[in-house]
Amino acid sequence: MKILVAVKQVAALDEDFEIREDGRDVNEDFLIRDLNEWDDFSLEEAVKIKEGSTQPVEVVAVTIAPESADEALRKCLAKGADRALRVWDEEAQDSDPIAIARILAAVAKAESADMVFAGVQSSDHAFASTGIATAAFLGWPHAAVVSSLSYAPGAGSAVFRRELEGGLLHEVEIQCPAVLTIQLGINTPRYASLRSIKQAAAKPIEVKSLAELSLAASDVGSAGSHSRVRRMYIPEKGRAQLIEGDAAQQAKRLAEIIREFKGDAP
Amino acid sequence: MSRTDAVTRILFEAFPTAEVRLFYAVGYTAIAVFLYGVYVQVRKYRRGAALKLEGSIWSRLGDMTAKVLDQRTVARRDAAAGGAHRLIFYGFGLLFLGTATITLQYDILEPLFGIRFWQGKFYLIFSLVLDIAGVAMLLGLLYMMYRRGWLKPPKLDYARPDRAPGDADFERPQYRREDWAFLWTLVVIGFTGYLLEAARLVWLEARPDVWDTRWWSPVGALIAAALKAAGLEPHGGGVLRLSLWWFHGLLALLFIALIPFTKVKHIFTSMASLLVADPRAAQRLPRVPENQETPGVSKITDFNWKQLLNLDACTKCGRCHEACPARATGAPLSPRDVILSLREFANATLESGTVPAAAELDVHGKSPGQIAQETLWSCRTCMACVEICPVAVEHVPIIVQMRRKLVEDGAMDPLLTKTLQTIHKTGNSFGESKRKRGAWSKSLPFKIKDARKEPVEVLWFVGDYASFDPRNQKVTQTFAALLHQAGVDFGILYDGESNAGNDVRRVGEEGLYEVLAGANIAALEGASFKTIVTTDPHSYNTIRNEYPDFGGKYQIQHYTTFLKQLFADGRLEVEQPLKRRATFHDPCHLGRFNKGYEAPRELLKLLGCELVEMGRCRDNSFCCGAGGGRIWIPDPVGTEKPAQNRIREAAAIPGLEIYVVSCPKDLTMFEDALKTTGNEGKFVVKELIELIREAVPAPRTEAPLA
Amino acid sequence: MSGVLVIAEQRRGELRPVSLELVSAAQSLRRDGDSVAVAVLSAAPASLTAPLKVAGVDELITVKVAAPEFDPDTFESAVGALIGARQPDVVLVAHSVDSFGYAAALAAKLGLGFATDVFKVQRQDGELVATRGGYGQKVNVEVDFPGRRTVLLAIRANVYKPPELPGAPQVVEFAAPGVTSRSSGRDFIELSSNDDVDMTQAEFILTIGRGIGEEAKVAQFKELADAIGATLGCSRPIADAGWLPKSRQVGQSGKTASACKLYIAMGVSGAIQHLAGMKHVATVVAVNTDAEASIFGVAKYGIVGDIFEIAEELRQCF
Repeated sequence: MKILVAVKQVAALDEDFEIREDGRDVNEDFLIRDLNEWDDFSLEEAVKIKEGSTQPVEVVAVTIAPESADEALRKCLAKGADRALRVWDEEAQDSDPIAIARILAAVAKAESADMVFAGVQSSDHAFASTGIATAAFLGWPHAAVVSSLSYAPGAGSAVFRRELEGGLLHEVEIQCPAVLTIQLGINTPRYASLRSIKQAAAKPIEVKSLAELSLAASDVGSAGSHSRVRRMYIPEKGRAQLIEGDAAQQAKRLAEIIREFKGDAP
Repeated sequence: MSRTDAVTRILFEAFPTAEVRLFYAVGYTAIAVFLYGVYVQVRKYRRGAALKLEGSIWSRLGDMTAKVLDQRTVARRDAAAGGAHRLIFYGFGLLFLGTATITLQYDILEPLFGIRFWQGKFYLIFSLVLDIAGVAMLLGLLYMMYRRGWLKPPKLDYARPDRAPGDADFERPQYRREDWAFLWTLVVIGFTGYLLEAARLVWLEARPDVWDTRWWSPVGALIAAALKAAGLEPHGGGVLRLSLWWFHGLLALLFIALIPFTKVKHIFTSMASLLVADPRAAQRLPRVPENQETPGVSKITDFNWKQLLNLDACTKCGRCHEACPARATGAPLSPRDVILSLREFANATLESGTVPAAAELDVHGKSPGQIAQETLWSCRTCMACVEICPVAVEHVPIIVQMRRKLVEDGAMDPLLTKTLQTIHKTGNSFGESKRKRGAWSKSLPFKIKDARKEPVEVLWFVGDYASFDPRNQKVTQTFAALLHQAGVDFGILYDGESNAGNDVRRVGEEGLYEVLAGANIAALEGASFKTIVTTDPHSYNTIRNEYPDFGGKYQIQHYTTFLKQLFADGRLEVEQPLKRRATFHDPCHLGRFNKGYEAPRELLKLLGCELVEMGRCRDNSFCCGAGGGRIWIPDPVGTEKPAQNRIREAAAIPGLEIYVVSCPKDLTMFEDALKTTGNEGKFVVKELIELIREAVPAPRTEAPLA
Repeated sequence: MSGVLVIAEQRRGELRPVSLELVSAAQSLRRDGDSVAVAVLSAAPASLTAPLKVAGVDELITVKVAAPEFDPDTFESAVGALIGARQPDVVLVAHSVDSFGYAAALAAKLGLGFATDVFKVQRQDGELVATRGGYGQKVNVEVDFPGRRTVLLAIRANVYKPPELPGAPQVVEFAAPGVTSRSSGRDFIELSSNDDVDMTQAEFILTIGRGIGEEAKVAQFKELADAIGATLGCSRPIADAGWLPKSRQVGQSGKTASACKLYIAMGVSGAIQHLAGMKHVATVVAVNTDAEASIFGVAKYGIVGDIFEIAEELRQCF
């Protein structure tokens, strides 16, 4: 039984970042990369299912990215994934979530995956789309924002709870195989010690090209995307009126604001 | 032959041959049992992992002999116990030597070579010395009984903080029974020895060479007089002598036979432990061996033979238990009980013919003999335990090596996990971008040299807290200004510097430590400088003692020695002496770890402060509680923190104005504790650098610093 | 056909207010002659139409579906059919947990232009341009949809104000095709706790975030909140760690501070999910050591300083 976990190496902005010359993205030098926080949880959920299962379960981590994402895949191997896959070709540059999903669906088919997990969203661009779009290309049942999951490997259905606005939970039963996007807090992701990451570095990362997945250039990149970035810019930040002084003075002013609000005498 | 020439004691006098043979049979049996016991113990140690000792065996031997002969380690922090133990040690030692001397002649030299020396003047002086030795030993033993039974010092309370009342191994009454049995046995052996001596005198009073020389055994003579006064006749004396002879002899032989099975073995194990001691055990932790499958210690056999020996050397003196800051504030950790638990575990598993299966050798857990996670995570790695242990038990490396396994399993507080991940990602524990590391220097009126780009004389390794914590940044800026004022050619590594790794290593994340050390060493190798100076004792410790194991050997000073030298060279001068009452808190990693007690005190004196020491100072300094990664682990709600305990100690100093620290973590912990203990306003916490700045104002030409 | 199609949201028999925000968003997209239609998918849609009779809505489409609550297959099928029948230029849904479950799949299947978490929509030279955030909301990104006949946009909640004036839209029915759903909803579960505070009713809230460091520090802020008369709230990390009950969490998956007028955030960085629950508050005061924290972007007053010191000093003022 195989669970495919789609992961993403996200980028955070470093100090004093700059927009690229073409105005459509940030200059790469200012990007700090790390495994997406949600993927810690979706990977852990898959590994937990594997460890709690009496039948063999294979957990495969996959990412659609260039070589720099190997670091994130190594972390997944260190945290219990059995194999790591990466798919990339130059044509896949500028893919939006739907184009990425097309590739992921091809991987799921090629791997004969029985379940696909993804994070609810990525911490950099927060599309919250890739996992569910993948389900459409697979034609599979799907659900988003899973905050607790009860699934026996190979079973025909699973029961989960989705975390709604306001903290409400909705319990749902879904047919499997299915694509589920996993929410933060569903479990406690294990710590991958540096040693285990180093040892994982010895394990191979399988790299596939688009051609191997029978995908054409028109399926990916800008051609396969359902949106296009025109411009990226730094917004004018709303400026809070800063209260100056030492702690005592600042607190005094804050106390005034509170009293004003309550209508008390200052 | 003159009478004094012939004077001696005839051994086995009036014994039928069968009885002599019987005695020897018992004697050999006792020795055989003793040897078997030794074999079992040695076999146990050999079941541990291998270890190569460093340094020359001769200097070790010399060091050990000196310590054993003057018993200096036993006298520390308990002069009375030290004195009493000296009496026991010298007394017992002399008595043992005495017996050995007799055996030497009687069983070896005389039958083989016809040599006799135990007679005449030698015999008489020998008798006197041994009588005095016996008294000394008995006095020591009686004091120890008084100490244990009446004084009842807290460190002899065997209740352990990592178990609850009701747990099987909570109080271990068997320890108390064994302690008292040991004391009583020796007392009885000693006392019956004198009785026996007296009985013989009465028995042989008709013989002038015995009776006339009796005052060479003064105690025996006194008792003989008393016995005679009570109506004992020579015949009765003979009977008494014979029965006491057997009683005393059998008891002594039983005692010897049982040495390897009881507390008495500390006679040997403590010496052996001192012999194999590593004086830098806590300052310089061992690396994970390349071929080791899982890092750290999971099974009892993962400990090396020296550590297993350490477990047996412990005499339950309780000094580590007393010194531990975690134990003192109610945490479930006593270094003593870690060692004793593991000892019980080792004895239970490694003393039989075959070693049990691996599953039964796991030392982590809550069953008797195992160590719980909470216990291991409570440790501050302040090395108070290692430093005070009279028999050189090395608790800290044992705890850290067990932590390595916990880290590998991810069994840590979530905040600690997050911090380790943050350090891995950004090279600092604050999660700030690397580029911001030198941001504190931007507000200075001068530019600090980038040691990555140009050669400097002094490379200043700043450290995490000093670089990123707002309160500590003020101290860092002040230090920079002082160096600038003194005309020192210095530079920093800016974002080439990462967390030095001292605490990461002590948390047990050895892999991350290697990454950090590697990165820092690469940065240092790429720079050109003569010496390193640091304001952070943790960085100081690891760069000085541990980086050489990773290929980075540098001359490094803590700022206190460096500034002291600047004053001595006249590059800094005190203009406004501070006439204030201050106390100095020795930071663990500078003081206890690296013996840096004097420089800060000399600086305070230079500044004109009146230094009043706290009770727990220098080697007994009480850790602020931040070490061992504890600054990244939340304290349980509602418990006293070590820093609070320490501030209360300082608050007891009448008229105290300043509590002086010289470590960034101390500054953070103690300023917090000052508030939470309600002592704010009574005295202030100041970094020594800030005090120096008060006494050595900035030159008028430069802009004043915030 | 063209025009704007809005898909309303309902849960447990009640229309979700974000549906009205979508109506306002639709107004900035309509061209002359465009109509704005709002579709209500429910087992009993007629009961949900009243609040939607507002200005700016030309048509109210009731779609009766078998599933009583949101279900991905049901929505994909019904909304897909609506799009097929009406051929709108733009379809607006809320960027919500429900739409997370189906919008991307629908866009993928039907080849729709697609963008999510959009907080500004406009037409530039006739082209539809949507603005969303990037790199953790630190930059803005303008996207367009070349060659896409229909564009599906998921609009961020609490950005557009609901229409104020009433309207009189035409109400029509739409027969959705039958669908066999592959998932079935069961119960709703409210996380109960002994703590009976209702953050949505509190007018004055003091919220603590990751900046407090450890559980032991919560007590100090509890005391402060009591002293100044505020309700103590928290951001997600505090609730996840169990330091305060989940009922105290303000944010997207926590409570919205709907009634709040004064909101003091201490040690809160201002992650977008938290802002979702409070940025509408009239007066927000942020206290944080990090001058660059996102929370300062929505605050009226800011204090860059140590939250413990400020808390101490503030406590003494009361």
